[in-house]
Order: sequence, then structure tokens, then C-alpha cells
Amino acid sequence: MKFVVLVKQVPDTNEVEVDEETGTIIREGVPSVLNAFDEFALNVAVDLKEKIDKEVEIIALSMGPPQAEEALNKCLAIGADRAILLTDKIFAGADTWATAVTLGRALKKIGEVDLIFAGQEASDGNTAQVGPEVAAHQGISQLTYVTEIEDFDPEVGEIICRKEIDEGHLMVKGDMPLLLACMPRPDFEPKIPNIREIMKAKKKRKETWSYEDLGGDEEDYGLEGSESVVIKTYSPPPKGEGIKIDEEPERAVEKLLRFLDEEGIL
Amino acid sequence: MAETDLSDERGLTEEQKLFRESISDWGERNLPLERVIEMNREGHPFPEDIIQGLADLGVIMGPVPEEHGGMGLSWKDQSIIAEQIGYIDPSIATAAGFMAVETGWGFTINRYCNEEIREKYIKPAIRGEKFVGIATTEPKGGSDVAGFESTAEKDGDEWVLNGEKTFISGVEECQKIGGGYWVNVRTGPKIDEAPHKNMTAFFVPIDTDGLEPQEPYDDAGRGSLSTSGFVMNDVRVPEKYMLGEQGKGFYYTMEGFDNARIMIGASAVGVTRRILEEAADYIKERETFGRPLAKYEAIQFPFVERYTEMEASKLMVRKTAEMQDVRYDETGWGEKTGDPKTYKPTEIAKWISMIKYKVPHLAKDTADDAMHWLGAAGYSSEYVFETAWRGVMSYCVGAEGGANIQKIVIGRETLGKDYVPYK
Repeated sequence: MKFVVLVKQVPDTNEVEVDEETGTIIREGVPSVLNAFDEFALNVAVDLKEKIDKEVEIIALSMGPPQAEEALNKCLAIGADRAILLTDKIFAGADTWATAVTLGRALKKIGEVDLIFAGQEASDGNTAQVGPEVAAHQGISQLTYVTEIEDFDPEVGEIICRKEIDEGHLMVKGDMPLLLACMPRPDFEPKIPNIREIMKAKKKRKETWSYEDLGGDEEDYGLEGSESVVIKTYSPPPKGEGIKIDEEPERAVEKLLRFLDEEGIL
Repeated sequence: MAETDLSDERGLTEEQKLFRESISDWGERNLPLERVIEMNREGHPFPEDIIQGLADLGVIMGPVPEEHGGMGLSWKDQSIIAEQIGYIDPSIATAAGFMAVETGWGFTINRYCNEEIREKYIKPAIRGEKFVGIATTEPKGGSDVAGFESTAEKDGDEWVLNGEKTFISGVEECQKIGGGYWVNVRTGPKIDEAPHKNMTAFFVPIDTDGLEPQEPYDDAGRGSLSTSGFVMNDVRVPEKYMLGEQGKGFYYTMEGFDNARIMIGASAVGVTRRILEEAADYIKERETFGRPLAKYEAIQFPFVERYTEMEASKLMVRKTAEMQDVRYDETGWGEKTGDPKTYKPTEIAKWISMIKYKVPHLAKDTADDAMHWLGAAGYSSEYVFETAWRGVMSYCVGAEGGANIQKIVIGRETLGKDYVPYK
């Protein structure tokens, strides 16, 4: 069986700085890490592999600049068996769709894949679009907001996942091939690779694929292949402290009603 | 973790960067500073989960060859590991102490022991199931390594050991999980003009009949790593438990010290960085007379001086670890390290002595400074500085070799043997 985990290297900061001219994220001088959502997705894949009595190859697939290799090294230490980095100047400046197209072409080249794992979103762009778009590009089903795999029958090709929704959770069944966009559980503790696993990862298969390897029209990739244009990127102003009513319930309701009345809201 | 980040990963391999990341993540989850402080205050709390955790993390005895249960890491790799363990454990006791003692001495025991000791003690110690350490100091002296009095006499295919060892790290923990010690004894007459001759090393399991552990000392620091000793009354060990060749114990012991000292020097770099980061958070935030403490030259200047010394020490430690890799490049022609054997062991020992003398003192002095910068807060156990100060002091006064002994080695190798002070 083959699992592919889509991963991204992101800046290790909540205060992302943006180049005002190009609208792209400034990466110089900012340390990079493996996107936490993707790390969770990889952990889910590794746990699943350990549970099933079947030979599984886990491939970590990423698109990014050459230094994104660091994130893939971590994936190999955590438990991926093979890593592929898609890197080429032609891929640069891609929006979510062009990214999904690039990843999709790489998936076609990899061959038959049973499960694709993705993080629900990346902590830099937070679009939550790439996973679903990859599924669309591949023409396969998808399950989003997956926090846990409840049951998996590799023979039948059926998987039951726990999916978070605003009202609680759903148990959803899907058929392979399938893409799972994974959302870390609040109690999730990522696996910490030990020194032995890190050294073992050094010997695992690592590849770099460029435009030449994926083929197709150049204009399908990168900035040219992007359907969207970033006009402006900005941080929304802070919401302010708000008003806190710290009283007994009856008195608090009274105060709240008075406030709403005074403000002309009611 | 401190907000201030003074780490610099440039020059590290991808694997070494991951070592640091894993150790930090593990420390944050299992050994936050609050726990380091608490365990050092408790006094010998036996951090079994920490010992097991360190083993699971793979940081004990990394340079032991793979076929002997280790990972065959370079000393440079292991020094990067030690630095980060020191960072998460500024007491050099709760985690760094165990890592340093077992790595330095366990690695050296493994070089000279037989297969039985390797299977029964070294491999389990790497897995965190046993403890191995060194017992060289005696009541009449520690720095004078060759001046010891314990003896061993041959009886058939056994040796009978008698004497007393004191100020030994980890005896209580070793009793609890099992293991044993490298013990130096005299297997021939003491030669006054060459007391290091006839010194022989044995591996002695802690539960051997006649070995009587003593009560632990109530030390100023290192609360979570016991220091005590044991008396040997007709302790019988088989001939095959002799480490290496008879009469060569002194040279093996110096080799073991070299390895352990690299671990201590590297750990102390990590301790210094942690102290500076924690202190930086405070002095940037805390205001007096309308300005943050960090804006006062009386605080900022010593801070940057310590930071500069820390970076210099880091480079020294890494260079020294690389030299040790050349020493253990068994091809002899630099096939592993790319450097033919260009250093004599005594020259490497000089560098090791320089880091052992310099870096623990730097860590101790930085902790001392930090307590001054923070005032009453720094003096309290709310912060890690006093725990670090008390722990690191152990490595200044004597653990793995006192400072003045290091200076004698450095002097001997720079000015020449004619100027050795004690001759």
C-alpha cells in the first residue's frame, strides 16, 4: 500500500512579515519548521501504518524552495519511508490551485496511491484549500477536519474517520483512494524522533523533482498557473479588550441588557 | 522556554539540527525548568523516568559502535547532543549528569571490556535499564589519580579487591536499577617515582558480595544525582572483568576522563545559553527607574561579555570534539574524519582540559551574574539560576577533574614538562 503525506515548511512565527510590493511572505532570517497540521497528518499516517498488518510505504511530498528539505528530513525521522521535494523556479509564486496542480502531477508520477494525508491548513496562509484542491485534481473523494481514524479495512478499502464539526463530531466512512485533511486534536502530542531514528532517516530515499520531471505546460505552474492574485496582505487590527461583566448571573443580565439598550442594539 | 533565542544552528548538519529539536521538544514535555528545580530541591528523588527517557531518546553513549548497541555517532555529534541536554537541564544532574557520566565512562568501558560485560551492562545501560559509572577517587585524594591505595590480589582465576572509593556519582541510582563501576586498584607494588604503574582497572557490578555502598553526601547542588561511595571488603571479581591489560589502568582512566570532560564542557555551553536566555527575558521586561534593566550598562555589558564567552566556548568544544574524532579514527589515516592523525593524545588532552577548566566556570559565573541582575528574584528558586549555580559548581570544584588539575595539563602542554609545578 502507498500513503502520501503532503507537507509544507512554514515560518516559525506567528508574526509573519509580508513584502508589500509582491505580497509574498518574507522568509529571510525567519527560522522554518514543519507545518504543525502536516506534522499531525504524518503522525496519523505513521500510527495507521503501525496498526495494520500490511506493507505500507509512506511518502512525504512537499513543494517549496530547496531549504524545504529540512522539513522532509524531519518527516523521514518521524516515520516516512521516502521523501520527494518539488522545487523549481517555475513553481515559485504558486497560489493554492497551482500548488494543487503541481502536487497532483507529482502524485500521478508516483503512481497508485491508496491514501493521501494533508494538514487541514498551513499556519502561514491558513487557506485550507490545497488538500481539497488536490483531491479535486485527482478526481478522488476527500474527508476534511479529520481528527482520528476509528477503523480501517485495507482489504475492503474502507476507512472510518472522526470528523470535527461546530456542533460536535461526525463519524464518516470513505472509500479508497481518498484524501484526508487532518486537524490536530487538542490533546495531540507529536512523536519526537529519537537520535537513532534521525540517523536512520539519513539513509532513507530522498528525491528532488523539478519541472523537467513533472512535464506539462510551463504556464500551468507557479505564478503563471495561479488563478488568484494577491492584491494586499495585511494583519487585521486587534479587536480591543472588550467589556467584561463580572457579576452574579441576575445582576450580569441586568447590566448587559442596560448596555445593549444604551448602545441602541436592542 | 525563554522568549529570547540565542541559539545559532549555522554550521550544524541536518541531523544535528534535528537532534537539538528533538531534545528541546522532549525537555519541554518531560523536564521543564520547574521540574529541574523541584527535583534538585528534593534530594536524590531517583529520576527513573528521566533515565529511561534519555535512553529512549538515544542520547546515552551515542559514540559506542552500532554492533555494541550504540549508534556509532561522532564525538562532534555527541557534543551537540550534550550541549542541548545541558540547555534543558542547567543543574547538570537531572539529565545532563547521567548522560555525561554514562557516555564518557560507558564508552570507554566498552572499549576495554569483554563481551559478557557488554551484554550484561553496557547494552542495558544504553537502553536505560542499568547504570555504569566511574569510581576512582579515594578518601586520601581525587585529583592525584595515581595516588590511590585500593588493591587487588590474584586468587586463582579471580581478583580480590580491597579499599574504599568516595565522592562517586550515581551509587544510589546504580543500586536501584543495577549496574556497576569502573574501579581502579593497584595490582602490584606502589612505585614512588612512577605511582601510575601497576594501576589496573576492573568492572565491578554494584551487587558484588563485599561491596558496601555508603550513605550519600548532602551536596550543595546536583540534588537529583547522588554522590556517595563504597567500601570493598574482599570483593571478588573474575579475571575476565579486568578492563584491558593489567597495569594500564592509568592510561585508560585518562582516556575516560577525556571523554567525560568533553561531555561536561559541551553541557556547560548549553547551561550558559539557557541562563542567558532566561535572564534576557527578565532584564528586557523588568523596569527600574523607568527603564528596562537591559538598558543599564552595568547589566548589559556583563551580559554581552558572557554571551561572547559562551560563543567562544562553543567553538572550542566543537573543535575539541572534532579532535577526539580524529583520535578515534581507527583507520589512522583520516579515512573517517578526513584528517590524518595530526594530534598527539596529550595535545587533545590539553584542549579537553581547556574546555573542562573554562566552560563550567563560565556557566557558574553566568549564573552568579544572573542572580545579581535579577536581585531577590534571581536568588529564589522561582528561577533556575541558583539551581544551576549549585549544580555547575560541582564541575568547577572537582567532578570529572578539578580546575587546577586542568591548568597543570594545559601548562605542561604549552610551557613544557620541565615546568610542571609539582615536580
